[in-house]
Amino acid sequence: MGRFGLLPLLVLPAVAVNLLTFLWPMLNLAGLSFREGMPGGGIGTDFTMATWRDLLADEFYLEILLRSVGVSLTITGFALLAGYPLAFFVHRSDARWRNLLVVACISPLLISAVVRTYGWLVILGDRGFAPSLLRGIGIDPPRLVFNMTGVIIGLVEILMPYMILSLLAGFGKLNQTLEEAAASLGAPPLTVFWRIVLPLTLPGILLGCLLTFVLTISSFITPKLLGGGRVLLLATEIYDNAIVTLNWPLAAALSLIALGVFGAAMVVYGRIARAAERAIA
Amino acid sequence: MAAEAAPPHLELHGLEKRFGATRAVQALSLSVGKGELIGLLGPSGCGKTTTLRMIGGLMPATDGRIIVAGRDVTALPPHRRDMGIVFQNYALFPHMDVAQNLSFGLEMRKIPADERQQRVQRALAMVRLEAFAARKPRELSGGQQQRVALARALVIEPSILLLDEPLSNLDANLREEMRNEIRDIQQRLGITAVFVTHDQAEALAICDRIAVMRAGVLEQLGTPFEIYERPANEFVAGFVGRVNRAAGHRGADGRLLLGDVVLQGTGHAGAGPVTIMIRPHRIRLTDTPPEGIGWNSATGTVTRRTFVGDLLSIEVALGPASLLVEQHTFAGAVVAGPGDAVRLAWRAEDTLVFPASPAGVFPAPPAGVFPA
Repeated sequence: MGRFGLLPLLVLPAVAVNLLTFLWPMLNLAGLSFREGMPGGGIGTDFTMATWRDLLADEFYLEILLRSVGVSLTITGFALLAGYPLAFFVHRSDARWRNLLVVACISPLLISAVVRTYGWLVILGDRGFAPSLLRGIGIDPPRLVFNMTGVIIGLVEILMPYMILSLLAGFGKLNQTLEEAAASLGAPPLTVFWRIVLPLTLPGILLGCLLTFVLTISSFITPKLLGGGRVLLLATEIYDNAIVTLNWPLAAALSLIALGVFGAAMVVYGRIARAAERAIA
Repeated sequence: MAAEAAPPHLELHGLEKRFGATRAVQALSLSVGKGELIGLLGPSGCGKTTTLRMIGGLMPATDGRIIVAGRDVTALPPHRRDMGIVFQNYALFPHMDVAQNLSFGLEMRKIPADERQQRVQRALAMVRLEAFAARKPRELSGGQQQRVALARALVIEPSILLLDEPLSNLDANLREEMRNEIRDIQQRLGITAVFVTHDQAEALAICDRIAVMRAGVLEQLGTPFEIYERPANEFVAGFVGRVNRAAGHRGADGRLLLGDVVLQGTGHAGAGPVTIMIRPHRIRLTDTPPEGIGWNSATGTVTRRTFVGDLLSIEVALGPASLLVEQHTFAGAVVAGPGDAVRLAWRAEDTLVFPASPAGVFPAPPAGVFPA
């Protein structure tokens, strides 16, 4: 136990739970991807590389992977663009209002993503509020649902609370006198933002982006509903194989690929965060 | 005092700041000479920092004008005012090292890189921090951070230097050292400076002139000597320096009475209730009080004696009043103790007389003495 005494025992429950509910199923999943899939959801007992061979040979899956990463990055970018000014405003508001505003920002989380997705279906649908509004101001509305546009709009809104929370957590280093100091030294507002505000809020930005990216790439209900089955992503493909076509070994293999993407995202985040830390801390 | 004769470099004309119905700064007019260090002194909430922020452009003025070297800057945003500001919490950029902090203002002025480097070096030498150029602010002590903040504000060679309580976060020893350093540098550069503080000793020590403020109003503007020796009113007398405060009365015949003791005083001559203020160290304990015009004397009873090393403070009951007397100690001095009768003597010009303030305007200070 060394100098920590019995302290390490405190992590034991968490380790046990994780081993039981995360690592064990993951290993099972890995094993599953090397079994033969039978029609109707059956699973063979022999070891086979067939699933992985087909998967890696089929360009369809590479396309899905690239599209998933691309869409997730796009959604992360939009969530950042929309969330940053909002988080900044909340951070700057009077202490009296701040808590209320934070609660308002995260209150969408109180409603299930499924319900909110159906809400977006109503708003964005052909007879919905958004197209009517556009028609009202003389714009011929593009199709807003059952395509990529709908998926992006829906996921940006659904994941924005996480982005805002991460940004707010990272705004701690920001102090209005720093901006005043920069202004007094001759920096116009935009320069103050680029040279002072942005560098100091970078840790929050990175954290928010990681969180949003990972949540986007693993969400399947919203892409499925708002994509109308026409937007094929990694997560929706896993869902289809596991629930619809019952090809469990393929679903397992795709899940492991998704896990690999998460791992890669963590590594990239770690690299950038460390570099940023060196630069600004 | 030479600075007084200099042409005005910074002028405030009827400067006013209102927050809703509150007038944080009321019709403040002030003229600061080139190279002058002027102090804005007052308790918290008196509007001194608000005034500084309006001068620096960090807060819009509700009314009035700010003129710098003949040019109206009232409507200019802070980045176009060319003023160096030293903030109370230093406000150093945490993600930049010391040299980058200093260089920032020069970059904004599009100074070429080699000249920038020279000027940063010169500024660092000025505050004796050459060896710390590559340090991050958090790796510096409070005093060092303060010097970096000063160097950063000065390296841009601003037309005016604004200092917002720059010493309040330092411990006592360092505070004195830094205030002298600020004064030295300010005089060496001949820069016009506005220094906000709530510490009267700080203001007296380094300012050419002091503007004493209360509740948004300028109470008195004068040299440290004038502010201390000839305070314009009871508030200034009480805020600047320690002072005894006693309720007295001036009769219709002009006689000034403290209890039944007749005094000679200076200031308010009107009949009626008055407030008499005498600084504790201007009162002497003596067996042979000087006689005649220009001197007051009275006999009282010692109620308390406190020895604090270099000073002896003695509380003397004098009729209805209680006076604090401060004496420098010296070896062999015979001092009176509680219960002893003592004779007090002080000069007429040290007896400041003000009209008695209406109840409620001044909270009664504890033990008859304003805090130092």
